[in-house]
Amino acid sequence: MSWLRNPWGRPRFLMLITGGYILWSVVPVLLAIAFAFNNGRSRTTWQGFSTRWFTGETGSVLHDSALRDALGHTLLLAVICVAVATPLGVALALGLQRWRGRGSGTVNTLMLLPLVTPEIVMGVALLLLFLRLFGGIGLGTDAQAIGQVTFTLSYVVVIVRGRLVSIGPEYEEAAADLGAPRRDQFSRVMLPLLAPAIVASAAVAFAISIDDFVVTQYLSSDASTTTVSMLLYSSARGAPTPALNAIATVNLVITLATLTFAYLVYRRFAGREEATSIATLEV
Amino acid sequence: MEGEIRLEELCKRFDDVTAVDGIDLEMPPGEFFTLLGPSGCGKTTTLRMIAGFERPTSGRILLDGTDVARVPPHQRNVNTVFQSYALFPHLDVAKNVAFGLKYHKLSKEERAERVGEALELVSMADFARRKADQLSGGQQQRVALARALVLRPRVLLLDEPLGALDAQLRKNLQVELKTLQTEVGITFIFVTHDQSEALTMSDRIAVMDRGRVEQAASPKEIYEEPETVFVADFLGVSNLLSATAVGPDGGASTVRVGDRTLRALQGATGARGDVKVMIRPERIEIEPHSNTGEDRMPGMVERSVFLGGAYEVHVRVLGGELLKAMVPNDGGVAAAALEPGAAVSLHLPPDAVRVLRTSEPAVEAEGEQPDATKVADG
Amino acid sequence: MGSRWTWRLVALPGVVWLSVFFLLAFYVVLAVAFGNQDTLSQPVPHWNPLDWNVGYVLDTLKNFWHGGPFLKVSLRTVEFVAIAVALSLLIGYPVAYFAARHAGRWKGAILLALIVPLWINYLMRMLAWINLLAPDGIGSDVLHGLGIEKLFLTLGLLDEPGGWLNGQPTTVILALVYGYIPFFILPLFVAIDRIDRRHIEAARDLGASARSAFFRVTLPLSLPGILAGCVLIALPMFGDYYTADLVSASTQTNMIGNQIDELMRQGSEKVTGAALTLFLSLFLLGLMFYYLRTTRRAGTTAQTT
Repeated sequence: MSWLRNPWGRPRFLMLITGGYILWSVVPVLLAIAFAFNNGRSRTTWQGFSTRWFTGETGSVLHDSALRDALGHTLLLAVICVAVATPLGVALALGLQRWRGRGSGTVNTLMLLPLVTPEIVMGVALLLLFLRLFGGIGLGTDAQAIGQVTFTLSYVVVIVRGRLVSIGPEYEEAAADLGAPRRDQFSRVMLPLLAPAIVASAAVAFAISIDDFVVTQYLSSDASTTTVSMLLYSSARGAPTPALNAIATVNLVITLATLTFAYLVYRRFAGREEATSIATLEV
Repeated sequence: MEGEIRLEELCKRFDDVTAVDGIDLEMPPGEFFTLLGPSGCGKTTTLRMIAGFERPTSGRILLDGTDVARVPPHQRNVNTVFQSYALFPHLDVAKNVAFGLKYHKLSKEERAERVGEALELVSMADFARRKADQLSGGQQQRVALARALVLRPRVLLLDEPLGALDAQLRKNLQVELKTLQTEVGITFIFVTHDQSEALTMSDRIAVMDRGRVEQAASPKEIYEEPETVFVADFLGVSNLLSATAVGPDGGASTVRVGDRTLRALQGATGARGDVKVMIRPERIEIEPHSNTGEDRMPGMVERSVFLGGAYEVHVRVLGGELLKAMVPNDGGVAAAALEPGAAVSLHLPPDAVRVLRTSEPAVEAEGEQPDATKVADG
Repeated sequence: MGSRWTWRLVALPGVVWLSVFFLLAFYVVLAVAFGNQDTLSQPVPHWNPLDWNVGYVLDTLKNFWHGGPFLKVSLRTVEFVAIAVALSLLIGYPVAYFAARHAGRWKGAILLALIVPLWINYLMRMLAWINLLAPDGIGSDVLHGLGIEKLFLTLGLLDEPGGWLNGQPTTVILALVYGYIPFFILPLFVAIDRIDRRHIEAARDLGASARSAFFRVTLPLSLPGILAGCVLIALPMFGDYYTADLVSASTQTNMIGNQIDELMRQGSEKVTGAALTLFLSLFLLGLMFYYLRTTRRAGTTAQTT
């Protein structure tokens, strides 16, 4: 076993474990993506390459109404979620950061709670809320959007606040000193400096929304409020075609593209270290 | 007159901490005025109140006769150079400097002209298109200056602007700043904890400690005629000795240090009882041990520190205290001959000996004076 | 600069939103749990605490007390989560350690490989395994070929050849590990990466061997990160139901999440479901408090919240 313990080089044992883990982690997904391009109906036996499950005439993501609608609804929810959660979150981050006096600790805890609450607990709570209290809104797209905003909010706040902390109060003071009234202090100095964080947090909110499952399912009403995640869940144990793999792949590509965009924006304007911490969701 | 600041009973309390404890200061127009003191003495808080970033708890800040204590910072005609410069990272140098001009009624051409002028003034005209993070510390400092001066304020506030720079650059910029101030002619209010910096650059210094002004006067006066023990100790080596003042002898006061008698012509000569006396190192004359007589104390050289232009000779006197004398390195034999162990006699001329009152009971004369490396870094 | 109220007002919309859609939602759970059921088996919340009906809550408690199905499910959940977290630690720590300490020029690539699973749809990752572990799936064949299947059969971890997906606790636990381990490794990586190398250099300088330096310096310093990571994945795991649902055909592997899900969406006992949710929340709250107390006492700051 001595070749495993190499005192001068990198410990081979650890290297093996890491390599093994990465393979174990990534290969199954790669295979699933591969089978999205399968020529036949099987999801386990390779029958040749084809894009029929993406763009083909029947049963593809593009032409099957169930699949297409699910994708559409997923994106709709994501857009609404971002549109609401981002301004709300930025405002909350600013307000929290500059809060004077007591109460900030409580609000801070309140903001962090959704991050540690298991989804089923939130799902049950929101379900009952919309069934028994806000029956006027009821279940459906509105409820789903509201539910998603409720927990994405915290991510936006955390990201924006991190940036606020590293910016510090000095630039606004300098702006004030030079004659800028409050409004200008914000629009000419704070906002440009905050912009990367706002964009990044919007992208993160988008990605989280797309992949959300429990809350979205709990607050759905009928088939028209199905998202990709829900579709994956309901069809997985049945006898689905590779179209399922295909739609999952499309979903994945959108998520990764969004995140790459966020990372690049952040890196361009705020530096590499901060960008990496966003990607790793350092709270 | 333009650019005069008066502080009247200015007070600032943060919860239960009093940062500024009712100070009264007059800062004449057109002068280089320094607020000097250790960290926590309240000098930065005072500066921030003048700038408008802190609201005073009570008191008045009079800018050319008008109380501006409640006026928000963007409406005061004073500008600040921050310790970290605070150049806007998303704007280039020219846009940084032009930032405040938006609020003055100027045409585009006039703006560009003023920006050019300001950059010329600080020798940064070639850097107009650079971004702030591409500049060195000294360069950023100059741009910060230009950004403030372009608005032609009546008073310029500088919050330890040279703190982040290395020693050589600091010295150069000290000269530059002083020249700039004389050239532009407006009032500069400068905050620092470095006493040699204060002595070099200022027309007037206010020494602060624990929220109060200990003394406000010209550098020469502060150095040669300190009024309190704190001021004496803060600037330069003070060679403080505990003594008992026993009475006048002609115009001088006689003090007993241990079993020796000295005469003092400076300071609180009318005081009686426990006092402190001080003498600056350059006024102590080292003489051969055989010289006895008035105003002299015998001692033994403990060490001689070579400072380049002079020797700082540490002499242990009979009472146990350590005095530091400055002997110029003028090529003479005398200085070089002061080896550890040499017996000498210290001549303390009465006109260089100053009596200071102690407000608290006199501290027991310890074996060693408070370490005075303050000459180097304040 | 700025009055006290300016910034509070700016934060207000966010606070109102969270108060309504989070705090209020929880209150509804309470009101339903302590409420009643109407003739259509729909929950009738009792809004006023003075009106609260403890009947259903007590019934649920009795179920636990007398060793009923709720207790069984809960114990099973605790067992699954404990094993899954332990396995995550066993696999995750070496990986995080390697990535932080020894990766050299591969660090960026490895970090990327660690980050990506975090953002892949959880269900897609499970879907991938379902494909593989199906009786005719590639994974099934590979496991058979490598003899791993035989090993599991012998150890009693698998009931029948190829039956990975028909209700095996083993599969559920391993799926949980697969699903949550990225959330464990990444914070741990960050924690270990942050340890000042100079501490280790100092230890080596003072005579410690590489192994000793690890056990006496690195490991203790990474302990807060380990604890934080464990809590970070344990909390959502306790509420998991979809993993068990996807990779197991039998209700024998149900976790408490499954139980709640059944009551809320499939059955007609929303009140009991609310009560169970309540208990789960209290349990997790307790866990959080315990964690915060131990880290605070140890003088270390929590890595996440």
